[in-house]
Amino acid sequence: MNSPDWTHYIAHMEQILQLELDDARRAELLIQLTRIAQMAEPLMAYPLDDRLDVAGVYQA
Amino acid sequence: MKLSDVSIQALRLAIHSGEISAREVAETTLQAIEQHNPQLNAWTEVTGQRMLKEAESIDAKRQRGEDLPPLAGIPYAVKNLFDVAGYSTLAGASLFSQRPAARADAFAIDRLRQAGATLSGMLNMDAYAYGFTTENSHYGATRNPRDLSRVAGGSSGGSAAAVAAGLVHFSLGTDTNGSIRVPASLCGTFGLKPTFGRLSRSGSHPFVASLDHIGPFARRVDDLALVYDQLQAADSADAFQASRPAAATLPGLSRGLEGLRCGVLGGFFSEWCDEEARAAVAVVAAALNAQDEVMMPEAELARSAAFIMTAAEGGTPYLPALRQMPEQFEPNSRERLLAGAMMPAAWYLQAQRFRRHFQQQVLPLFSKFDLLIAPATPCSAITIGQQTITINGEELPAKASMGMLTQPISFLGLPVCTVPLATRSGLPIGLQLIARPFNEAAVLRAAWVLEQQGFTVAQINMAGA
Repeated sequence: MNSPDWTHYIAHMEQILQLELDDARRAELLIQLTRIAQMAEPLMAYPLDDRLDVAGVYQA
Repeated sequence: MKLSDVSIQALRLAIHSGEISAREVAETTLQAIEQHNPQLNAWTEVTGQRMLKEAESIDAKRQRGEDLPPLAGIPYAVKNLFDVAGYSTLAGASLFSQRPAARADAFAIDRLRQAGATLSGMLNMDAYAYGFTTENSHYGATRNPRDLSRVAGGSSGGSAAAVAAGLVHFSLGTDTNGSIRVPASLCGTFGLKPTFGRLSRSGSHPFVASLDHIGPFARRVDDLALVYDQLQAADSADAFQASRPAAATLPGLSRGLEGLRCGVLGGFFSEWCDEEARAAVAVVAAALNAQDEVMMPEAELARSAAFIMTAAEGGTPYLPALRQMPEQFEPNSRERLLAGAMMPAAWYLQAQRFRRHFQQQVLPLFSKFDLLIAPATPCSAITIGQQTITINGEELPAKASMGMLTQPISFLGLPVCTVPLATRSGLPIGLQLIARPFNEAAVLRAAWVLEQQGFTVAQINMAGA
């Protein structure tokens, strides 16, 4: 699978979230988003039961 | 009387007997802060008038012959994300410096006020609690009292430094991914991160609601237990608080290791630290008779999931301000917050669901062990401005990596006491003592044993008073 083009994603989100960014901020945002994406990749590949809920507060 | 060498219970008794007044304690504390804070940069605000007023109220009680509460006249300070009536709550951010003053104290501060403690002020932190070093661009770096060229750790760096310097008996911090345990490790003091949901967070500025904990730092384990006991109370204003009655830990400390089965976390936790950390673990493992290595499956994935939840929940609330006044943000964090606010929701929800799965995998370990041991940080304190650390042969970003061993544990929400040990370099390093949910008593008992038997590093005193 090809790596996603995060530059395009950032451009779309900039419009959707009504942000005004300059090139320096876009470049830093690309670094940050790419780092999160690297962490998300194995997590998204991890199989979880479809009935698994989010964790709550311990009550035991 | 050298205040920092005296336990909370002994100082309270001295005040009760009239050996020293609460006002004298407060005045000595304020003088020491005035003298040493310029070097340390732990306090961002000193609440001198309030402290003296609270101290005078204790002295008046004594003069009337009333019983003094458990923390009567004991000096403390709080991370500057707790609301203190009459002051703007900064959360380490210049963005908030102009916001209206808090109208009431945070729940935890109100508990401490009722217990008689005297508030000396508010303490420096990483902006928005997003960091592990307290190198704050606007308020400056907090310096480590054991070596002023080094970081205090973060994000509750001011809280650890204030206590480690011997300027107050205890402090409050918060821990989302390691923000109590990392600075406690680097400054060489004790810190308690209770079970997620155990203590009320209301009246504190949130960072990541799904992961935020509050907790105390102290120079002695009995002080830590006493303060924790005072903080336990039900608060309907905190939607994340667990329904659980208070359970005092101080009276049980002397039970020591009775019935505690201890193990050492291996794998991720023994690989991603230096030789000094491994040596400290070996010392504590021998002292606690921990002979088994315990594997925590998927710990690295848990760290990733905690990172993603932190980015999403930490960033999204700031979106309006990021749109309207981006120049007001801490440059180290601005685009990090924005990236979190724009990530796909599927990543965040997968992280939240993985948390449940991870809890289901790990909690059965506590049928065989009552206590697990792991380093709190991969290494001792780095120098201020240091960008990378080399661990396990890999060069890693220093600021993000200081919390890599604490993140999987707070992701689980387990109670942890950080105990400080000496290393050959002369700098301390902290170990995490970890127990099943709501077993704060076990981690405090084991920490108390290590302290009593002289395994923990000696506390220092900048003030010398």
